[in-house]
Amino acid sequence: MLDRPLAPPPVEVIVAVTQALHREARLLDNEDLDGWLAMLGKDVSYRLELKSRRFRADRSPPFPLGPGVIFNEDLGRLKMRVDRLKSGFVWAEDPPNYIRRAVSNVEVLATRADNEVRVHSVLGMHRNRIDGTTRLLTAGRTDLWRSEGSAWLLAAREIVLDHSVLPDSNLNAFF
Amino acid sequence: MRFERIGREPDYSRYMDLKEGWLDRRIFSDADIYEEELYRIFARSWLFVAHESQIPNSGDFLTTHMGEDAVIVARQPDGSIRVMLNSCPHRGNKVCFADAGNTRRFVCNYHGWAFDTAGDLKGMHEEYCYDAGDIDFKNHGLKNVAKVGNYKGLVFATFNSDAPSLEAWLGDFRWYLDMILDNEEGGTEFIGGCIKSVISANWKFGVENFIGDAYHAGWTHDSGTRSMNNGQPFPPIDMDNSYHASVNGHGWEFGTEGVGDLFLLGRPKVMDYYNKIRPKMAERLGEMRSKIFGSVASASIFPNVSFLPGISTFRQWQPKGPMQFELKTWVIVNKNMPDDIKEEVTKGVMQTFGPGGTFEMDDGENWENCTTVNRGVVTRHERLHYRCGIGRQIEHDTLPGIVYRGQYNDANQRGFYQRWLDMMTHDEFGKMPARPEPQLGNVGETRNLPGLFAL
Repeated sequence: MLDRPLAPPPVEVIVAVTQALHREARLLDNEDLDGWLAMLGKDVSYRLELKSRRFRADRSPPFPLGPGVIFNEDLGRLKMRVDRLKSGFVWAEDPPNYIRRAVSNVEVLATRADNEVRVHSVLGMHRNRIDGTTRLLTAGRTDLWRSEGSAWLLAAREIVLDHSVLPDSNLNAFF
Repeated sequence: MRFERIGREPDYSRYMDLKEGWLDRRIFSDADIYEEELYRIFARSWLFVAHESQIPNSGDFLTTHMGEDAVIVARQPDGSIRVMLNSCPHRGNKVCFADAGNTRRFVCNYHGWAFDTAGDLKGMHEEYCYDAGDIDFKNHGLKNVAKVGNYKGLVFATFNSDAPSLEAWLGDFRWYLDMILDNEEGGTEFIGGCIKSVISANWKFGVENFIGDAYHAGWTHDSGTRSMNNGQPFPPIDMDNSYHASVNGHGWEFGTEGVGDLFLLGRPKVMDYYNKIRPKMAERLGEMRSKIFGSVASASIFPNVSFLPGISTFRQWQPKGPMQFELKTWVIVNKNMPDDIKEEVTKGVMQTFGPGGTFEMDDGENWENCTTVNRGVVTRHERLHYRCGIGRQIEHDTLPGIVYRGQYNDANQRGFYQRWLDMMTHDEFGKMPARPEPQLGNVGETRNLPGLFAL
């Protein structure tokens, strides 16, 4: 059977998922990390892969074990990161940094599964650190969101950071 | 409060007294001192440029920097490795903007001058515009460095034709390097790519942190240790059986318990792997080195490479001005490890010492703020304290180098700044003192040498 293009998801789904992205950004900005964890599926996969600048015509083979990933997290690892941030011993976050996330270019696409949608979005992250330094990071994100009961949960996120050299000393923030 | 406006010191020895244990803060931000570092240290030292596994095939290349000079490292058809300036001899533009890849030619974007992977000029756009006698192709290739060397997979280069051999430069430190480079048949390789990040700090703060500063770990990384270890803080250090060892500005601080850094990596399968090969490692490197490997440890190779044996992060602090460096990090593994163990190591490194790692995230901010705060016009007059453990030097029957007892110590940092001072004050490379006198000078291969007692 030939694949036919999928019909777009219902407008209610598009609205609900878009709202979920905005809510997620707000929870993270407000450091409501437990609230954020509650938006994640049990099997969530959260990844940020390395990139390197290559010539378009480059003919070298890919790395046998992949290029490496800066984040390659499951729910347990994400909880551990949250525990670390909540430990009271993260000197670099005290007093708190100011982080503001802007979510944009949201596209909600249907998948073969009725309760799942593929979501493309762009994230701009403004970080104002304790010493006053300000950094702007941008990233593209491709997510899988799943409807469970009345909520949409994040099931997978692939982050593509738009920087070949990180303009900051760490990535101590969720994208 | 009284202070005088001070200018540049007439002599670099005025910037520190390592017998007393203090440093002048100006060496971390002064632009003139930084320029002098580029000439006297970066242009004259052996500098790490690649791991040979990054460029296995003919035509493979990567781009990097030696000091602030952009270079290309390229594998030749005969298997050798060449290192050359990434700068066209015509107007100076870079001839390669990729991080890495495989190619036959480097072609300048400006006028199409084309070079082969050895750096030889092969042609250019509209070649007819040059009359006979205008240009000698032979003398207009990409400038090659003076020397290239390889120690057990690590490729170094130097601009300095008077530099000693790479083996002599590393000297007795080879005995320590073997623990990460030669602990198993087959040697090592880098896997995956390179992460680059910009840190607004002086390059020396990164080097000195890895060369000897075990002391910061329990406090700076308290949150990371606790979150990865069910709320338990950093384990106490055994001050009687842990050490600092310094050789000509290179340094390794370490315990002898064999498991601390492997534990901090947080990947039990990797711990199991090393425990399995440890008896073989003891046969290969001797009992002492098999107990040092995997312990809480960190190391730097002078001037700007660092790594954590056991945690397997390998990194270079590339200077970008007095108050900024670019940090490049890789993952180093044993070539003969099974793929699933290599994957585990990679995951562990990213989760601990990648830019999103639970430990790495605490460090950069400290170094940035040390750098900017030290620059204050009044603050810079105050000395910094580097005296920890200054009376704990020992003679050890196994360990080469200048050895201090107790890994909470500033000894290796003092050793690093002593070498810094030696290079800043000696015009003639050959007249710099050896610190200490080489004990393994006549030893060709240090793998088979369990320790000094065997001499």
